Amino acid sequence: MNSRSRYVWAYAMIAPTLLGTVVFWCWPAIYSIYLSFLKSENFGMSNHWVGLANYQKLFKDQEFWHNLRNTLYYTVLFVPVTLVLSTFFAVLLNAKIRGQSAYRVIYFLPQVTMPAAAAMVWVVLFAHDYGLINYVLGTDVAWISDSRFAMFALVIVGVWGAIGFNMLLILAGLQGIPKALYEAASIDGAVRFRKFRYITLPLLTPTLFFTTIVLMIGATQIFDSIYLLIGKTNVALPDVRSLVYAYYQNSFVYYDQNYGAAIVDVLLVINLILTGLQFAFQKKWVNYD
Amino acid sequence: MAKSNQAVERNVNWIIHVILIAASVVMVIPFGWMILTAFKTVTEATQIPVKVFPAHPDFSSFKKAFEKTDFTHYFLNTAFAALMKTVFPVVFSSMAAYAFARIKFPGRTVLFFIIISVMMVPNPVFYTPQYLLLSKWGLVNTVTALWICALVSPFATFMLRQFFLGISKELEEAAILDGCNPFQTFRYIMLPLVKSALVAIVIIQLLWSWNELQWPLIINSSPDKLTLSSGLATLVSMFSTNYPILMAGAIMAVIPMIVLFFFFQKRFIEGVAFSAHKG
Repeated sequence: MNSRSRYVWAYAMIAPTLLGTVVFWCWPAIYSIYLSFLKSENFGMSNHWVGLANYQKLFKDQEFWHNLRNTLYYTVLFVPVTLVLSTFFAVLLNAKIRGQSAYRVIYFLPQVTMPAAAAMVWVVLFAHDYGLINYVLGTDVAWISDSRFAMFALVIVGVWGAIGFNMLLILAGLQGIPKALYEAASIDGAVRFRKFRYITLPLLTPTLFFTTIVLMIGATQIFDSIYLLIGKTNVALPDVRSLVYAYYQNSFVYYDQNYGAAIVDVLLVINLILTGLQFAFQKKWVNYD
Repeated sequence: MAKSNQAVERNVNWIIHVILIAASVVMVIPFGWMILTAFKTVTEATQIPVKVFPAHPDFSSFKKAFEKTDFTHYFLNTAFAALMKTVFPVVFSSMAAYAFARIKFPGRTVLFFIIISVMMVPNPVFYTPQYLLLSKWGLVNTVTALWICALVSPFATFMLRQFFLGISKELEEAAILDGCNPFQTFRYIMLPLVKSALVAIVIIQLLWSWNELQWPLIINSSPDKLTLSSGLATLVSMFSTNYPILMAGAIMAVIPMIVLFFFFQKRFIEGVAFSAHKG
């Protein structure tokens, strides 16, 4: 078969995916940026160009800075806790342990659970007066309606949901480390912790790097658990409201799609910066052999 | 010396089990509470001090969840949308992935870059333009709106391409010599070789579609066009403190994916582990 007809086959085989990607993803991404420079009257009708006005309004808006702070605060709490706990459990499960697959299934179960269903039961668990958590801990905390604690409640639910998935990623990384390295260390009399510190951890850094990026991108997009756990009328909402939540409110509750577009475009830039920084700093700690 | 080492080893194993079991309990408590609450009466569910077990467990909340809400619609909408968001992306992506991995054609790099570049963009960035597009096509508040934008999947294309790249060339060359065209080579020779990857991607797509919240919430608001995810979210305001009904709904919404998970947990786990290595 000549190469020209092979090309035709290739183009035909990528056509549906390419077309769909351009129409449903590429074009919307570009249009979202364009929207943020417009002012629309009736949701999508009679647009006019206003330049940077939406961004000027955004940067002057106290609420925006508060939402940005909340988003970053959640990320800063959620990512390290998830990373440390996932690594901890992955290392424990990487040992020769009976019932390994049972543990993996149990830890992965929250990942399979619909966030809407999980959030509903967490609301009951966190309840101030009849909640199991206060009952067991003997505390008297309004977990989801007290501004001081609502963020922690979100982090707890987030970590609970994320450990299983990230633990598996790290477990896969651990299983890629050659056993021979540990055998050599045993002969030298290295103890457990030293093995972890000097063999496991350095060789795991590429996996940890990948996991951190995925976790960070996910954390900056937090929406489901705020919408479901905190709710619209909660007094603690301003202290946990994320950028994506504010995007949803502005675009689909107040119908200001242009302002909403500006918010998510800022989020896009933040994600590009965070990922860029990760790649810039990876030389300092990521170890590719 | 050796003997005391073994004793230490045993103790360490014992400690590891205690930690793992304690963590398992924490992981499953929400599921246990969901089930216990669904069988309680409304008063029992919010009783002080906390009542762990229902006095007379009854199933009536499950029945009420169907009678008092559009639960049947939520279920059918979710299942149909998940099916569409799995079958189409997997079929389209596997063809595209094969072409990108195995055929050298002009523009290959640029076109591949166009497809995977959208993977870096946070999902909410797409939502408003997608909403405007669907509203122009008159599709807002329809079941079609739930899946039409997810007909193709850059993620699945990327993953499957990695699999095709890993397969040796010999079989393929034999097929080409026998006069197979690229589609036949793909369909009859290469596709069966990536079957396990396909299964993993099918499961992951199903899971994502089933549980997705934000898009269904944005695009549909009529009760009969909601999914389980967005439907449960609206039930919270309808039955704000009728926890038994809410929990019964939650259990029924999660059961299909949990059953799927138990049957295919090895594939699930392989699929996840794979995405780490090739990511």
